[in-house]
Amino acid sequence: MKIPGRKKLIPPVIIQTLKTHPVIIALIALVVIFSSLYPERFLTPLNFKTILRQFVTLTLFALGPSIVVVTGSLDLSYVGIWMLGGILVWLLMPILGMFSILVIPLLGLATGLLIGVIQVKAKIPSFILTLGLLATYAGLTATLSGGYPRHVRGYEFITARLIPYIPTAFLWSIPIIIAAVFIIKRTKIGTYLYAIGSNEEGARLAGINVDKYKILAFTISGLFTGIGSIILFQHLGGATPVNLNLNNVVGPLVAIVLGGTPLIGGSGGPQRTILGALTFTVLYRGLLLSLLHPQAIQLIVGLLLIVSIVVGTRGLKGVTIT
Amino acid sequence: MVTTPIDNSIMKVKLVEVKGVSKTFNGVVRALDEVSIAIRQNEIVGVVGENGAGKSTLMKILVGVFPPDKGEWYYKGRKVPFPKNPKEAAKRGISIVYQEKGVIPCLKVYQFLFLGHEDKYVKISRLQIDKMRKHAREILEEFHVKCDVENFMYELPLSTQKMVEIARAILSVRLEHEDDDITSIIILDEPTAPLNIEERRELFGDILDMKKNASFIFVSHIIPEVMEFTDRVHVLRDGKLVAHYDLSKEKITEEDLFRAIVGRESSEYIYKPEIKRVVSEKVVLTVKNLTKNGCYYDILFDLHKGECIGIFGPAGSGKSEIINTIAGLISFEEGVLIVKGQEVKTKELPHVRLARGIGYFSGETGKELFLNWTITKNISIVNIEKILRKFIPVISFNAEKQMAEKIVQRMRIRTPGINTDCYSLSGGSKQKVSIGKWLERSPDILLLEDLTMGIDVGARKDIYETISEMKKSGISMILVSDDPKEYSILCDKIMFIKDGRIQKVLSPEQFKKVMAT
Repeated sequence: MKIPGRKKLIPPVIIQTLKTHPVIIALIALVVIFSSLYPERFLTPLNFKTILRQFVTLTLFALGPSIVVVTGSLDLSYVGIWMLGGILVWLLMPILGMFSILVIPLLGLATGLLIGVIQVKAKIPSFILTLGLLATYAGLTATLSGGYPRHVRGYEFITARLIPYIPTAFLWSIPIIIAAVFIIKRTKIGTYLYAIGSNEEGARLAGINVDKYKILAFTISGLFTGIGSIILFQHLGGATPVNLNLNNVVGPLVAIVLGGTPLIGGSGGPQRTILGALTFTVLYRGLLLSLLHPQAIQLIVGLLLIVSIVVGTRGLKGVTIT
Repeated sequence: MVTTPIDNSIMKVKLVEVKGVSKTFNGVVRALDEVSIAIRQNEIVGVVGENGAGKSTLMKILVGVFPPDKGEWYYKGRKVPFPKNPKEAAKRGISIVYQEKGVIPCLKVYQFLFLGHEDKYVKISRLQIDKMRKHAREILEEFHVKCDVENFMYELPLSTQKMVEIARAILSVRLEHEDDDITSIIILDEPTAPLNIEERRELFGDILDMKKNASFIFVSHIIPEVMEFTDRVHVLRDGKLVAHYDLSKEKITEEDLFRAIVGRESSEYIYKPEIKRVVSEKVVLTVKNLTKNGCYYDILFDLHKGECIGIFGPAGSGKSEIINTIAGLISFEEGVLIVKGQEVKTKELPHVRLARGIGYFSGETGKELFLNWTITKNISIVNIEKILRKFIPVISFNAEKQMAEKIVQRMRIRTPGINTDCYSLSGGSKQKVSIGKWLERSPDILLLEDLTMGIDVGARKDIYETISEMKKSGISMILVSDDPKEYSILCDKIMFIKDGRIQKVLSPEQFKKVMAT
């Protein structure tokens, strides 16, 4: 029996949110732990800014692929689009001038479409297909660049400071995040993508053109990565590396899975990826502040990916992921 | 009614007896309440009840999938603890053959028979395949299973697959005891669900043969089967044992058993609609000389607006293939298919056919529903166009909610709320949700396959009512089912099909007469 006039300690809405998003508990716990361990280094404006910067990187890479993961497939091409896109900007700069930056979203769109069509027609696992494409793009980048990172000047305005302590790239990422969440939560496309991930046969019987929407998922993913990569291009130094860095590939994956989007598809999505990215960034920063050797941090990141995949797939007791 | 006479001259030993078994889930639902049953040597014991009566829970306790809250277990009169896993259950002489997914299709028969017991055939880390084959052959012979040990499982007919599964279950008990004379108790969980009528007969013939070597617990909700093949019947309702009949001594009718299962007068439950068969002249679907070699030949019929045509025949007669073709799941080779005056191409995917107004209900919950979704989402998935806002195509959650509430109410779906996940619903409610989404969509033509497979009587009545209403509103239907009653309740016209060809077309009255003889 409820005693009238007595408020519950925690409103049920919050309890429900925590139940479905256990990562929030982890996030709060991490912030508390690191703040008390390194009070004079963790709770600083500088660290706050660094966390936001890294959060932006992870989020912009992971948003598109998390739309694909909802359908039960996987898209690893994001780093490839960013690398190859960067070098194409450098190549096209003399011809197109400032417009050459638009080649990145076009590349993303085309890549997504290509992956989608191949995956649907050839029916091969998207994981290996996109991994192969990632390797191909990395190789192409190295070849086109001649083996050196190529700086492109003129796009500094993208990350020019607007508000103190808040990276402009973060501001840019907000509309992109909103668009991704909107597409997946409020449109027919989003609903159909969830349907395909949850029960492909059922989706077909419900009259959904499964192949079309699968291609669409990859295309949207590529486009989001492409748009994000415009910001990331400048955000990460106005040049893209010519060597594939595994950390760039693994980080967004951890963000997706940690956020609570199981790789089997059918639930989760971009809105969870943001949480995952934030949690992962806080953890990463905290570990960097500790005395751990950087290589050991890589080890922890790898283990974290495995653990969160297992938890995300099997589910925690009493935790439902929707 | 045929009851198999048991040899009553010798007092049969109670092989396994459980007493006072109770089980609650999540501290709320009382799944089993003080249930006691005993199994003697060489008998077939039926356990019947509606969906959710506790049959599965009891069986799972018997094979050690989960422990009971309380209860006692006697093995040949000795009190022993409950088994903690299926292996321990096999030590106590019990093994189970599950309803589905028990077979591994890519294995050969002998590999499948000894799966999990290979270590008994290992000599210096090498499998003695010849010995396995020889032993497997002896077992197949003993149980009269008509197949070769070198056959792949998928090559066998469904009833033979079941037999191999039963043989394997008996074998697992024997191997656990290393004794070939041990009497095993085999639980058959709805063994006939995937089988057609002839296959069922065959399977039961074989099981009666096997009674010499084993005892069976037969879990089912098909009353005639239970009456015909079991020696004793236990009736479960709401987790309690409500009745027990010894069929060799008592004379009971199907009606009696039915009443015990549902706990009310069965006549209430058998739906007899006031059939006013007014069918409009308008033709919505024309099928002309449709042929797919190996499946069906020269199929010819017109479907009128508001008409329901049944395609009746044994499994494998081509009836499923015909409606799958109309649904766009498989293609046809010759003939013409005209939907609402438009001839359609042979290769059109289901979404194109749906756009033309053809909906397909497959009857399989696993295919129809998104089990990790709420009821709301499952209903709105085929009706998404209806809940988009007018100017910007955004899903209106409000409209979605109203739609779901309307359907839950109309279909009388038993659920705590519209935001309940579908996997937690009972079988009947799941089926209602699947049908509810088509009720809301109301396509011009609805193809129905196995409308009420594996569903209890109460839910069945609600579903028939809904379908009749939809028919009245002008939806045309084609029905394919295994239950002859369903045809006489719903159809205006029944086509008999055999070996892919239409034999005759009957009215429901003629159909009833044919089925009665």
